[in-house]
Amino acid sequence: MNNATANGLPPGRRAIDIVNAGLSKRYRRERRFRLYGISAILASLLFLSFLFGSIISKGYTAFQQTFIRLDIFFDPAILSQESLTTANYPGVVKQSLRQMFPEVTTRQDKRMLYGMVSNDAAFQVRKLVLDSPEMIGQTLPIWVAADDDIDMLMKGHFDLDVPESERRINDVQLAWVDRLQQENRVEKRFNRTFFTAGDSREPEQAGILGAVMGSFYTLLVTLLLSFPIGIASAVYLEEFAPKNRWTDLIEVNINNLAAVPSIVFGLLGLAVFLNFFGLPRSAPLVGGLVLTLMTLPTIIIASRASLQSVPPSIREAALGIGASKMQMVTHHVLPLALPGILTGTIIGMARALGESAPLLMIGMVAFIVDIPGGLTDSATVLPVQIFLWADSPERAFVERTSAATIVLLAFLIVMNATAVILRKKFERRW
Amino acid sequence: MDAAANFEELTVGIENTQTASTGPAKAKSGRILFDRDSRDTVGEPFVEDARMTCRDVNVYYGDKQAIKDVSLDIGRNEVIAMIGPSGCGKSTFLRCLNRMNDTIDTCRVTGQITLDGIDVYGKDIDVVPLRAQVGMVFQKPNPFPKSIYDNVAYGPRIHGLAQNRAELDDIVETSLRKAGLWEEVKDRMDQPGTGLSGGQQQRLCIARTIAVSPEVILMDEPCSALDPIATAIIEDLIDELKQQYSIAIVTHSMQQASRVSQRTAYFHLGDLIEVGDTAQIFTTPRHQLTQDYITGRFG
Repeated sequence: MNNATANGLPPGRRAIDIVNAGLSKRYRRERRFRLYGISAILASLLFLSFLFGSIISKGYTAFQQTFIRLDIFFDPAILSQESLTTANYPGVVKQSLRQMFPEVTTRQDKRMLYGMVSNDAAFQVRKLVLDSPEMIGQTLPIWVAADDDIDMLMKGHFDLDVPESERRINDVQLAWVDRLQQENRVEKRFNRTFFTAGDSREPEQAGILGAVMGSFYTLLVTLLLSFPIGIASAVYLEEFAPKNRWTDLIEVNINNLAAVPSIVFGLLGLAVFLNFFGLPRSAPLVGGLVLTLMTLPTIIIASRASLQSVPPSIREAALGIGASKMQMVTHHVLPLALPGILTGTIIGMARALGESAPLLMIGMVAFIVDIPGGLTDSATVLPVQIFLWADSPERAFVERTSAATIVLLAFLIVMNATAVILRKKFERRW
Repeated sequence: MDAAANFEELTVGIENTQTASTGPAKAKSGRILFDRDSRDTVGEPFVEDARMTCRDVNVYYGDKQAIKDVSLDIGRNEVIAMIGPSGCGKSTFLRCLNRMNDTIDTCRVTGQITLDGIDVYGKDIDVVPLRAQVGMVFQKPNPFPKSIYDNVAYGPRIHGLAQNRAELDDIVETSLRKAGLWEEVKDRMDQPGTGLSGGQQQRLCIARTIAVSPEVILMDEPCSALDPIATAIIEDLIDELKQQYSIAIVTHSMQQASRVSQRTAYFHLGDLIEVGDTAQIFTTPRHQLTQDYITGRFG
């Protein structure tokens, strides 16, 4: 009996030969497996860059806006000292336009001329006059926002090959724009309005601040409710609750809740918070409550996982020197689990920030011009604002939709980066 | 006859039995009083003036019985070693003494365990003061991820042992001195305890345990994760500590048991097989199972 048969191998064959024979196949398989992984990552990167590229290329122009310089004559005849707040400011703007284009005489042409600048110009003039009434009687160059059609023209989003009758800007207006450009009266500037104004039907006056504040108040309510409730539930379930049928049932249901479509939470909010408790419609308070319901399972699951990952040796160490269970939890387990809990919370918050469906159900989809100043003011949120603008027919809202998406993505990236930084900073090793 | 000499004799004995390969029962048949099937405790489990007494202790994990009718005393200022093969219940038994098993849901303990005459499983007994009196050192060094100072000061803080910072500093220094760690860490008290070496960490854990002035210290294989030098330091420390505390130590190392303990208890599959003076257990075991274990036949 030779050695080979003693090992159970066919006579004359050594184990190492068999191993070597199969090696190349093994390595081939490994290379193929790696290739799958790399191609999966490349595909997802491709889609992601396509998404970002499309949003950014469409949206970046919204951060600039076309302004027209008008020589505004602060006519004392119109602006009498007594009635500065209610004076005919649009008249002042129109007068200046007529002076710049004296050849315009017909009523229809005048309307077209006045339409070149945003009707925000009148409010701009009013503000100037109210701030410094000594301007009255002078003629000053003032930069006013152009109408959104002119803005689109200047940004090259305007198709001039279309027959004149189907265009929003006719040849007469084009000639005026050319003249203004020759006189250096047209300029693209940073679009401050976009960050400081609420929603508007006029794209050049529309901004995201209202939606950002709405999101802020909504998330504030969500955070203040879901963070403590989530941690308390997770700590109780993980550290104190007896393991029995009831806690199993609760656990299963929490996991189920995490998978419930978000619109269902909206329906629930509508039925409970609005119809039963009579809370105000469209309010960040209700939005926050609904998003709390939606975020809680995420936070509870993340917190429980984080609590479970605290090594039992730390618990035993604390109990072994006579710490009560609560001291063990608050002094040792919770601080060690906190980075994970915070990460889970931030990710839950980021999800809540990007959520629109449940908020549609409780009326946060309304057209709201004012910037909300509190929890019960009518408000909308960023994703819903994007939804509303995407629905608007004006060409200028296309770039604003993308710009608002960029802002939303920026917030999400900041939040997720915070989660990563927090985890890295407070992560402890033992 | 001193323990060291006995140990010499014992090691010679092991060699003899191994070379002879005829089995100890034949070689030392005159001394073996109980055969392998006997599960009654041999020797004297009780002492006068006991600190802790255990009577007919049974421990169940669910349906499985881990400890069967164990009666054992832990005397004052003595080190009692618990030895036995893996899974014999010695750690379980140790954890019953300060009710650490309470944290396991399925664990059930019957029988009576007393500390200074008071039933520790009594209805109105609070585990918090109990664990302050019966401290525990674990197998794996488990300092809190806090500073060295906070590690030691944690116990006194939660129990309110110090009135002010100076007293707390005093307790911390005394405990670290007793644990033989003071000289090594006095200049870096604010550094994390987890940054120390394994042996230092274990001494830190011992300091943390004695900082709450316990009466009994339970040690669950305190040296199993340490190198021989760190082990030697801790064994010396245990010898010092027995002046003041009663110590129960679970160990897998029979050499360690013979070096540090005065009495030794041998557990086998949940039964307490033999208890006696350490020297006697290791030189003239009276139960066949004890004999098998200490001569290296299993475990």
